[in-house]
Amino acid sequence: MESGGLIAAEGAPPIGRRSQVVDRAFRWTTAVVAAGLILLLIALILELIDGSSRIFSTFGFSFFTGTDWNTVAGRESFGALPFVYGTLVTSFVAVVLAVPVSVGLALLLNEVRSGWVSNPLATFVDVLAAIPSIVYGLWGLFILKPFLDKYIEPFMHTTLGWIPVVGKLFSGNTVGPDLFSAGVILAIMIIPIVTAVTREVVATVPRDLREAAKAIGATRYETTRIAVLPYARSGIVGATMLGLGRALGETIAVSLLVGNTTRISTSLFGAGVTIPSWIASSFRDATSVGLHRSALLGLALILIALTFGFAALSRVLVGRDPRISVSATVEVAVAEAEEGRGGRDR
Amino acid sequence: MVKRTRASVVAAGMILALAAAACSSNNDSSSSGSSSSGGSFDGVALTGAGATFPDPIYEQWFQDFPSVESGAQINYQAIGSGGGVEQFTAQTVDFGASDAPLQSDEIAALPGDAIEIPTVLGGVAVSYNVPGVDDGLKLDGSTVADIFAGTITKWNDSAIAGQNAGVSLPDMDISVVHRSDESGTTFVFTSWLSDESPSWKKDVGADKAVQWPAGQGGDGNDGVAAAMTQTQGSIGYLSFDFALKSDLRVGAIKRDDGTYVAPSIESISAAGGILKFPISPDTNILNSPAEGAYPIASTTYLLIYLDQTDQSKGKTLVDFVTWALGPGQDTATQLNYSPLPTEIAQGGLAQLAKVSYQGTPIQASSNVTG
Amino acid sequence: MSAIAVATAPSLLAGKVSGRRRTKDRAYGVFMIACAILVFIPLALIIGYVVMRGWSALTVNFFTKEPAGPLNPSAGGIVQSFIGTAIITGMAAAISIPLGLLAAVYLAEYGRGRFAGAVRFVAEVLLSTPSIIAGAFIWAVVVVWMGSFSAIAGALALAFLMWPIITRATEEILRLVPNELREAGLALGLPRWKVIVRVVIPTAGAGILTAIMLAVARGLGETAPLLLTTLGSNFINFDPTKTTDSVTLRLYAYARTPVEALHTIAWGGAITLLAFVLALSIGARYVSHRQRKRLS
Repeated sequence: MESGGLIAAEGAPPIGRRSQVVDRAFRWTTAVVAAGLILLLIALILELIDGSSRIFSTFGFSFFTGTDWNTVAGRESFGALPFVYGTLVTSFVAVVLAVPVSVGLALLLNEVRSGWVSNPLATFVDVLAAIPSIVYGLWGLFILKPFLDKYIEPFMHTTLGWIPVVGKLFSGNTVGPDLFSAGVILAIMIIPIVTAVTREVVATVPRDLREAAKAIGATRYETTRIAVLPYARSGIVGATMLGLGRALGETIAVSLLVGNTTRISTSLFGAGVTIPSWIASSFRDATSVGLHRSALLGLALILIALTFGFAALSRVLVGRDPRISVSATVEVAVAEAEEGRGGRDR
Repeated sequence: MVKRTRASVVAAGMILALAAAACSSNNDSSSSGSSSSGGSFDGVALTGAGATFPDPIYEQWFQDFPSVESGAQINYQAIGSGGGVEQFTAQTVDFGASDAPLQSDEIAALPGDAIEIPTVLGGVAVSYNVPGVDDGLKLDGSTVADIFAGTITKWNDSAIAGQNAGVSLPDMDISVVHRSDESGTTFVFTSWLSDESPSWKKDVGADKAVQWPAGQGGDGNDGVAAAMTQTQGSIGYLSFDFALKSDLRVGAIKRDDGTYVAPSIESISAAGGILKFPISPDTNILNSPAEGAYPIASTTYLLIYLDQTDQSKGKTLVDFVTWALGPGQDTATQLNYSPLPTEIAQGGLAQLAKVSYQGTPIQASSNVTG
Repeated sequence: MSAIAVATAPSLLAGKVSGRRRTKDRAYGVFMIACAILVFIPLALIIGYVVMRGWSALTVNFFTKEPAGPLNPSAGGIVQSFIGTAIITGMAAAISIPLGLLAAVYLAEYGRGRFAGAVRFVAEVLLSTPSIIAGAFIWAVVVVWMGSFSAIAGALALAFLMWPIITRATEEILRLVPNELREAGLALGLPRWKVIVRVVIPTAGAGILTAIMLAVARGLGETAPLLLTTLGSNFINFDPTKTTDSVTLRLYAYARTPVEALHTIAWGGAITLLAFVLALSIGARYVSHRQRKRLS
């Protein structure tokens, strides 16, 4: 072929130079925008480092291990440990509670054939995503927490509190604000996003896989287990990360339920504090005079670091993707056609 | 591409519409007022931010003021005393508001000299939610300090029972609720505790936020009230107007002369007389010796730069404060705030007279001087 | 496929479904329904609570007037909040949707290797950023530089949060479009970009709409980033460079006052937010339903 253009496939008309330019420009544009995300994160981290430099130069490593939080001029002392602890505990509780429920619901929404039923269900779940944090917080405080305090937490206390070692998590006074209640409200808050993405992912599992399983007589459960879930695994992990992302950033709702106590409690039923809720309630008033604002930005930097950790974890969980990478097949097809080799069996 | 093209067309259209509306909008704050020599003056739009305690009365004032001075559109957002100081310092707002006087480090950080003008009086109520205990539980400063320090842990402790003969106090744990955010209310309360208890002063101190030895934290007055409503046996401190509106009980505090006084509009007003100008970092109206004055009373301030950079904005501001310290005080009681004693209002106006534009003091316009 | 057959062939080819397998299947069905119930009970309770506390605020004044002061709240409303939310979220969507789609296309269609992996990773970190930090970042970079709070600053703070959400969610959706479609498009002689734009994206249309809707719903419900960027206002404002209100800010401000009538207005605002998202969600679902019908 003498057109010099890119040949998409054997037997197909060549692509002209203009399309080639547009093709390259398009690819370049998308790459630049994608790079923009990296630039944004770098800008954010630089701002945080700049803002928090004073706290690290004053306290150094002890900022990570300290448990004080004293903003009074002349007595300033800041330590991030209770905040990291509370953030991790509440997010963990949230994910443990929300992901199974969301996946179950997403599977149900896909099982139900009738659009009449699944559409309203799915719509209601989407509405959950837009409820403002303060509504969750106030409802959580006045309706959910009394329910948890009266029924759920004592139940957990009696059934699980006696187990050695693990039982300590469920010991102590169940009345009052606590990490567990905050975890539960977070779970409710992240269910919509995890469900919505999982639902889309499961919906797009290729029909052939499902039908093949059915053809050999698999039950609905087995179809799901052997055909759907492995295919959807990386998508579900992605959905969980999106949910975790929301959990790590929640402020007002958590602040109403967690107790805002800058101490480490070994029990889930003790009060605590999380980084995002603390930053949200303190940031407006933290003047740049003194170390307070710098300490808050230090907490933010630690939270970003935690997020890095979780993102890395999700990479590990996704592992080897059972689906072949999109771009790989296309690149191969393009390369083969270009070299004029025999086409694929299409 | 179709979807994206449509989206970008929508976006472009929206931005065009916004631009068109902005041009014809009557919200622009470029100077439109006339000069300050006689004649009625058209106010301009201002933005302020700060204290949450006076938010309702400020809202009402900013609602009523345009009928006195048309065009004066003042937007106030209650983001907290500390936030008010921060934005005032960064000059992203035209005026600030704080429940606590500026501290020396905050003054040092200001780009220019500023005055603090008291607007209304309020107080901090010590509230509690104890079954069977009604309003008026008698408490003195050192007992309250010990409770918040965590050394007194039961409601039937002798320190409390001793002051309250005839009140049946249950054998219940005290759950302390304090503020987790920065607040002028905390500043006033901890200042009073520091006055009343040397150990509190040494171990904790006074500030807009402190490291609390005991209890759980609520975000804002509403957070504290909500937490207390949910917790039996709780004790906490709230700004007075909040305590009034909540279902929580309010305690009577011991004065220096030995009597116990509950917070009320009258008892707080009585405390106002001891305010001294100019306002300094230590200014407070705690433990006023005046008859019937509530010990934990406080005032709230507007923060204004002495050297205004925009003449119309400066004049609108001066007009507003003049009006607020005058006819505006009448609205205060309707919203459960205590009006300033007349001599304090006069003192505030005297401070206001120092505000100037390019060296010339800004006079209040005839809108407010009548 | 062969792996599946090997793993299950013995029991399956037996022809009948054994009792154990039937029980497991039934348990699975129960599990799914239990999940649905667990989700819908809180949802119904929350919506019921919001409606109960706020329905009395939904008067004509509420939708058409600015606030009238705490002494007579029912004479006014929060019209400036609705307009502000529309403007701020609209601008945020106009910024983040195109950026999100383009980045997602890169990751799903072109991205291989370390750069794409890095972008994906970064997107996940960004969307986990607490919204208050996004607000503080924009405050330091935009508000202080402009010298005032503004609607555009708020929009940028929301876009900061929405952009990575749209990117990651859309990427997942695009990756699920079967490669056969792409190859078919190329076989027809379409250039790569046209394959993406005319084949892949329309096919994934429903899912993309869901991703966008999730991000917009998130943006509509945010308060913290707006506190530091638009500040809030009691007045209608169309100027993107001036302070603007939003329903969430108004909700937050009123909920913190001791004035009960303002609380009711705040809850009324929450009802309208939910109603709007409901409308958005139904609309998105209707469009994708139509599209699925057209394609099949």
